[in-house]
Amino acid sequence: MSAIADTASPNALRDRARAARRKGQRDTRMAYLLLLPYIVLLIMFGVFPVAYAFGLSFVDTIENAFYGLANYEFVFNDFRVPTAAINVIWFVVIWVAMTMIGVATLSLMLDSVGRKTATTLRTIYFLPGAVTSSAVVVLWLFLLDPGVSPFQGLLHAAGWTYSIDVISGIGLAGVFALMAFFSSSGGWIVVFGGALSSLPTEVLEAARIDGANRFQLATRIKLPMIWRSLVLMGILSFAAGLQLFVEPQLMQLAGPQSAQNDWSLNQMAFQYAFRMGDFGASAALSTLLVGTSIIIALVIVFATRFYKID
Amino acid sequence: MADARTPPFKFSLGRFIVFAFLAFAVCFYGIPLLWLLIAGTRSQSSLFADPPFVLGNWDSFIATWTNLTTYNNFQIVSWATNSVIYSVGGVLLSLVASIPAGYALAASEFPGRKLVLVVTLIAMITPSTAVVLPIFLEMNLLGLNNSYAGLILASGFFPFGVYLTYVYFSTSLPKGVMDSARIDGANRFELFTRIALPLARPIVALVAFFSFIGIWSNYFLAFVLLSDDKLYNLPVGLTVLISTSGALSNLPANDVPIKKPEVILAAILVILPVLLIFMVAQRFVRSGTLSGAEKG
Repeated sequence: MSAIADTASPNALRDRARAARRKGQRDTRMAYLLLLPYIVLLIMFGVFPVAYAFGLSFVDTIENAFYGLANYEFVFNDFRVPTAAINVIWFVVIWVAMTMIGVATLSLMLDSVGRKTATTLRTIYFLPGAVTSSAVVVLWLFLLDPGVSPFQGLLHAAGWTYSIDVISGIGLAGVFALMAFFSSSGGWIVVFGGALSSLPTEVLEAARIDGANRFQLATRIKLPMIWRSLVLMGILSFAAGLQLFVEPQLMQLAGPQSAQNDWSLNQMAFQYAFRMGDFGASAALSTLLVGTSIIIALVIVFATRFYKID
Repeated sequence: MADARTPPFKFSLGRFIVFAFLAFAVCFYGIPLLWLLIAGTRSQSSLFADPPFVLGNWDSFIATWTNLTTYNNFQIVSWATNSVIYSVGGVLLSLVASIPAGYALAASEFPGRKLVLVVTLIAMITPSTAVVLPIFLEMNLLGLNNSYAGLILASGFFPFGVYLTYVYFSTSLPKGVMDSARIDGANRFELFTRIALPLARPIVALVAFFSFIGIWSNYFLAFVLLSDDKLYNLPVGLTVLISTSGALSNLPANDVPIKKPEVILAAILVILPVLLIFMVAQRFVRSGTLSGAEKG
């Protein structure tokens, strides 16, 4: 660069700078054009709804007047909200623990058996990922019904006769965690299968020569190498778990005695909007929920270096 | 080869524990799915009376199928059609929005680039369920509730697709090819359509895969945005079938022809497209989920 500056005349330099700027401007315009459809959607379904809910949370939507923090006060004073918060925390704790331990254990075990066996088993673990949203709840309502369940031997052995016995025996948080784990963990096992098979062979070889057995290899060498991704999975599961809605909402399908309409926080936000027509209170609770998610996302983006932003 | 990389088991106890645990997991993941697929062929009485893995017969399967499809004037057929409309519309929109956007973020420098990237990442990490009620409140304001357009537009917003495309192009776009194409006189739009798009085939498939799975099985957003049962998708329709018939509640019988076998068959309809795609595209999950995340 300095060599050019030494030899080029000031005019040529200025022309070159101008040309570069023009080219830069054309590049910029093209980039904005290519981004346009996405930006419209990003504003419509990312930025605006969050901002709108935030604004709405300070409005009395029934009287249409500024309401200050009254919506938040209302939400915090609703006795069902702390209960729902505790429910969700239990669910998240059980689910995240199951996911981290289950996925790590199964992935490491699969990495220590023959490749053909591992591929077949991984596919079996992965396929329930196709059972999502309402279908996973419906499937599990069958699985937990001792009358029809393929696990009926197990359920009868535990002394349960009706699905309501099973559900209260396991506990709702445990039931929802089972449903979520069943359909979401297999995908992660596939992901970690990929991560483990791309670990540097030299390191594993060196550990082996040093006399590490398979167990030591898995726990002392491989586990620390995938630990960061496991933590990322845990945080993502935690964030998703806080938003629990479908599983408790659909418990009513097993009959009115099983209905859980205000079990989770998202259900409460739904109840405010749909049962009470109080959009302000719904917006306040939604704002708190989405705010928590955004804080978690900010931490992942800025405090860790999990995702590439340049 | 795992065998070349790892030493043989020294203790058969260790081997036993590993295989016992893996076999237990096979039961946990495999039995429910196998049971569901088999149960679709059985009659209501067989479900209760026979052992769990008895295959039903053709007649009872056809009877169940007829009950399910003809119920309420072929309602499930229109829900399935809706699901196809939402999925095709949503996937196409998500591709049209995310492929060019991801390319622009990877291939050019412009003011605001970093901001778009960061907001995209935040939107991608924030679970989509967190924004469902805010989207409902907004759609209520815009009058887009309860319409095909509303749900398709909302499901076309797919920041993960933008991020995947961005990572793909920033690692695979050959700078030399771009430069020589530019020298040959291709303008910026041609660079995208002639050079980038043909290279983008794998990433288009990957984004379409994740986008389709999300949209096809979306329950929460559809449930909240749609109130007219003519507009429901299959996941919502499945729950309506059950709550109107009480098929899962073991309450006294009614004359709605939707019983447990019909519900099972409907659930199979919901999961079958994704199941079939999963069987051929497992590697997509592997290459997509952690892409861009640092290794280890």
